[in-house]
Amino acid sequence: MAKVIQPFDPKDVVAHPEAYFRRAYVWQVPVRLTHWVNALCVTVLFLTGLYIASPILAPSGEPAHHFVMGRIRQIHFAAGIIFVISFLVRIYWFWAGNNYARSGFPFVWRASWWRDLFRQATDYLKLERGHVHLGHNALGGSAYTFFVIFLGWVQIFTGLALYSETNPAGTLNKLFGWVIPLLGNSYRTHMIHHLVAWAFPIFALLHIYIVTYDSTQYGNGLITSIISGYKFYRQGDIRNDEWLS
Amino acid sequence: MNNLSSLSTYDVLRQHGVDRRDFLRFCVTTAAAMGLEASMVPTVVAAMETKPRIPVIWLHGLECTCCSESFIRSSHPIAQDIILNMISLDYDDTLQAAAGFQVEAIRKKLIKDHPGGYLLAVEGNAPTKDGGVYCTVGGDTFLNVLKETAEHAKAIVAWGSCASNGCVQAAHPNPTGAMPVHKLITDKPIINVPGCPPIAEVMTGVLTYILIFDALPELDRIGRPKMFYGQRIHDKCYRRAFFDAGQFVESWDDDGARKGWCLYKMGCRGPTTYNSCSTFKWNNGVSFPIGSGHGCIGCSEAGFWDNGPFYQRLSNVVVPGIDATPNTIGEVLGAAAVIGVGSHLVSTVVRQNARKIHVDDTPPADSKGE
Repeated sequence: MAKVIQPFDPKDVVAHPEAYFRRAYVWQVPVRLTHWVNALCVTVLFLTGLYIASPILAPSGEPAHHFVMGRIRQIHFAAGIIFVISFLVRIYWFWAGNNYARSGFPFVWRASWWRDLFRQATDYLKLERGHVHLGHNALGGSAYTFFVIFLGWVQIFTGLALYSETNPAGTLNKLFGWVIPLLGNSYRTHMIHHLVAWAFPIFALLHIYIVTYDSTQYGNGLITSIISGYKFYRQGDIRNDEWLS
Repeated sequence: MNNLSSLSTYDVLRQHGVDRRDFLRFCVTTAAAMGLEASMVPTVVAAMETKPRIPVIWLHGLECTCCSESFIRSSHPIAQDIILNMISLDYDDTLQAAAGFQVEAIRKKLIKDHPGGYLLAVEGNAPTKDGGVYCTVGGDTFLNVLKETAEHAKAIVAWGSCASNGCVQAAHPNPTGAMPVHKLITDKPIINVPGCPPIAEVMTGVLTYILIFDALPELDRIGRPKMFYGQRIHDKCYRRAFFDAGQFVESWDDDGARKGWCLYKMGCRGPTTYNSCSTFKWNNGVSFPIGSGHGCIGCSEAGFWDNGPFYQRLSNVVVPGIDATPNTIGEVLGAAAVIGVGSHLVSTVVRQNARKIHVDDTPPADSKGE
């Protein structure tokens, strides 16, 4: 039977934490590591990408003495390659990691996944504490799948295809060059790459807001969990992860 | 006609009074233009001396004839003369002397006399809507003429952007349903030579290669010869140093424009265009658009008309009823996300019961991930 405590007594929590919280190790090292590498890379990629599309610095003097655009492009490409590696490590960990590493996957063939999706969406709209998950909830998982995985793939394929243009006889071109004729031409590939890039700051905004909301409203240590790996839960909360196999 | 076609290029040139020295000079130039080693020059010479000229049928569909104009202006007078003599240009309705029914009779006779032996050069493309009535030649639709002629061709050379990727007549909304050759003919080897028009030296280079090696040159994914379309204009652009340095022209009359800085911010399509303009240049190597201070418009790229405006680096994204660049779309969606987050945050703060905490009395169970 659930009862409602209001207000929450901080002294009692400090005195008897075990009466309130349990700690669970949720995010393993590769999950946390790739999260932060991705966050850093996406930030660098977005900012350098905007600069590449619209270079604003104008160094004076002889071109031989400057390498502004060239350097920014180098940083963009380097960050892109690091992002790809981090992305692949995370995909490997999808299989190798614990169940929580897989919890963001959209299990669309399971009725329980759809129930969780609907429940989480209404919880957020009703501004209630709702159902706490240790892994991802279905709504969060869908957002990560769409913004990070799907659009991440779009950026990786278009990005590597555009990068491979600098060496048309190279291996990268053999692997990714087909993307350009598929999307029409090089210019359109640039446009799609640029347009999709905007999804990432929008995602970052929503993501940071919702984890802050969850962390403060649910008291589950969500924000610190991506640093420490540990999440907090209360009895009953764990049941909401049952739809995970 | 059979008799003429069986003559080699060298035979015809001698008949036209070209001496052997000039002939050899041409062979060396052509070999160099195709990127062949010096040791390959004798092969070029031998091919020119011994191989019978290829009979060529040159069709004109929906187009502006700029490819022909470019072709007959190949850089050196000697080259122009040689090229027109190198192939046996037996049918070309804009260049030949014959007219009317006679012309079409020649084409039909050629198909009958050289089945599988002639080269089909197509300039322009065929409209497909309403039975192809938007382009007719000699009373028949160009679509039919093209299919009929392509059926027995050895290979097809698609001249220019029209034949290679559709060009202006296939630009949105493409009212006549114009389609490039490779979408209409699928059972023949096709070489795409895009450009509006293609560079004369590129056109002659392609024909020379076919004549010498009796095969199509190595093609890329979309059927373009790698030797001429293997790199972007940007990769060989003489203004590339300004691009890497970050020195860009901001307006047509600024200091950067006078100093010849990079035209990237003025919408130059050099970084996204595969062509040889920055190496061969135009009009006997005099200049090319970027050399004259104007950005490239990307005329050899598929759908380049739909990537406008030409003077903007980022084109407009076609959303019904809205004209916006990707940045505008990003800013609008970003603002919408901020508003959504902000209103949720405000409602959360306003609604105090969101801070209620539900606790179960039953003792905690261990977590699965522990």
